[in-house]
Amino acid sequence: MNNSEFYIGWQPQAPERLAKHNRSIVIALFLLIAGVGTSLALLQRKFSTASFEFGQLTEVKGIYQSFPVPSLKVSTADDVFGNSSFITMPLVGYGKSGAEGVIAQLERNHKFKFDNHEITVKGTLLYSDGKTLLQIDQHDHPLVKVKEAPVYGRKATIAELGTVKLTGEVLDPKCYFGVMKPGHGKPHRDCAIRCIEGGMSPVFYVRNETGETNYYLLLDEAGNKMNGELKDYIAEPVSLEARAVQYDDWIVLYVRRGSIRRTGGLSWFKIKDGDISCGNPSSSLQ
Amino acid sequence: MSASYTAVGWNRQKKIYDWVIAGLCTAYFTIFTLLTLIFNDQITFETLIIRSTSTLAVLLLHIILAIGPLCRLNNKYLPLLYNRRHLGVTMFSMALVHGIFSLFQFHALGNKNPLVSLFISNTNYSSVPAFPFQALGFFALLIFFLMAITSHDFWLHNLSPRVWKTMHMFVYLAYFLVVMHVMLGVIQYESNPVLVILIFTGMATLAVLHLKAAFKEHKTDSQQFSKQLEGFVYVCDVKEIENSRAKIFCIDKERIAVYRHEDRLYAIHNVCKHQGGPLGEGKIIDGCITCPWHGYQYLPQNGQSPPPFKEKVSTYDVKINDDKVWLNPIPFQEGSEREGALIKNQK
Repeated sequence: MNNSEFYIGWQPQAPERLAKHNRSIVIALFLLIAGVGTSLALLQRKFSTASFEFGQLTEVKGIYQSFPVPSLKVSTADDVFGNSSFITMPLVGYGKSGAEGVIAQLERNHKFKFDNHEITVKGTLLYSDGKTLLQIDQHDHPLVKVKEAPVYGRKATIAELGTVKLTGEVLDPKCYFGVMKPGHGKPHRDCAIRCIEGGMSPVFYVRNETGETNYYLLLDEAGNKMNGELKDYIAEPVSLEARAVQYDDWIVLYVRRGSIRRTGGLSWFKIKDGDISCGNPSSSLQ
Repeated sequence: MSASYTAVGWNRQKKIYDWVIAGLCTAYFTIFTLLTLIFNDQITFETLIIRSTSTLAVLLLHIILAIGPLCRLNNKYLPLLYNRRHLGVTMFSMALVHGIFSLFQFHALGNKNPLVSLFISNTNYSSVPAFPFQALGFFALLIFFLMAITSHDFWLHNLSPRVWKTMHMFVYLAYFLVVMHVMLGVIQYESNPVLVILIFTGMATLAVLHLKAAFKEHKTDSQQFSKQLEGFVYVCDVKEIENSRAKIFCIDKERIAVYRHEDRLYAIHNVCKHQGGPLGEGKIIDGCITCPWHGYQYLPQNGQSPPPFKEKVSTYDVKINDDKVWLNPIPFQEGSEREGALIKNQK
């Protein structure tokens, strides 16, 4: 810049050579913006195909059960031998809360427990990776119909699968299976803690070396909810030991007290899914 | 430069500056949104907002922090400095949108107040990998908020330039918090190292620029002045100072600008009363020493801003013996009239 050139912001014109330099800076800034924006947009981790049917209420009929988690046994179709098949559809509440409160209120209104009763509820479906959940919100007046006579004909398929040691991630199922993307991992940690503290049934997500994913419901050794104990281990790689029991299409892990351990460190350059692999746990469970 | 306070003292250069900011933000949002929707279309609206605003805010923060040292290294970058506050407020706005959406997304509709939930959900403060990174972002946003609401000249004058400047130096603490917020947050989730590389590149660039600028200033500040006579210090020859320009000398830890104006030399304190800009890197325009940062002006003979402005800086005695410039580093009261030193045999 020669002596005659001096930029003063409040003057209407910048000196010619400076103005030319300014234009170069602006072009460079646009290139920088474009480069960074492109890199970050293209190289984000892929989001899951999980769905949350926001604003769309669906009526679902099934047999309610409160154990291992509040859920509906929903008949899908009869197989070739005429046997009915069911899927278990865990229920979750509105926002970051479990469904127990809503169900308890409905039970109080009807003056009987809904366990093993066929009920029809309307709610918002969320689903991903072969699992379907239903959000019920008391503002939607979710209970459409409830049969007063319980259903005793249908028994859950229960199978003891032995003791297992698994490495995976504790997550809240509502966000993971539909509401949020990403619905797991460190960015989602606070939300998962709030959801699980709010009564959402925690799910243990395990991905083995072949990329196969498995999801387990978590209870303590005595079969009680353990949401409070899990708070410090949510949304990070942890290992645990548990007795595994299959209830129809979900496996419940009765987690041994004191067996949960953090396994992950800083993961800036790691392949994330490797952090939660654990050999081939599914083979020992299925 | 304005004698009274208005929300924004608009002028053509500021408008151009703000149009460029708007263009940059629009370009970023367009590119980020379109590419994400095309190649990663399962993203939710909330996540798109959270990610696009946060990444843009971090990028703008790097640009903002680079402007200072760039200007100290080369005054061609001074136009970037002129309206940097608007860039800062834009960056804060992006960070605020990110913060509000994140607070709602991750903490609302739960069994705790969202602001309480922010601090009590994840309490693993003793673990680095599990550290509650969202709290870091909250405190960074708080600093940006304080900077944004005090960015107006009204606060600069009422808080005093020294307090204002000190407060705004907290931007470096905020930057550290932002870097840790990213490193302990989303980077723990993403598998592609691009974000880590970009953050480290940004940090390295800022570190190099700040170090280079510091070395340059240190060179000026460490100049030794051995010849002294009756309180005056020999600083340079007359011919070394261009007409309407100055040379800066650091004596007894005070920077003094010696200006050449018409047939005289004048010495004033180098620090502008507005934002501490280096007056010695300015130029005499319309008979006034003009600060290179925001164009604040002072009369060379008394260090006073021309009426109706009221800023004043210290003046110093300067004399010339055999074309050699001698400077007395003892300051006169701000705004004191000094006659300067007459330059004989001008070529």
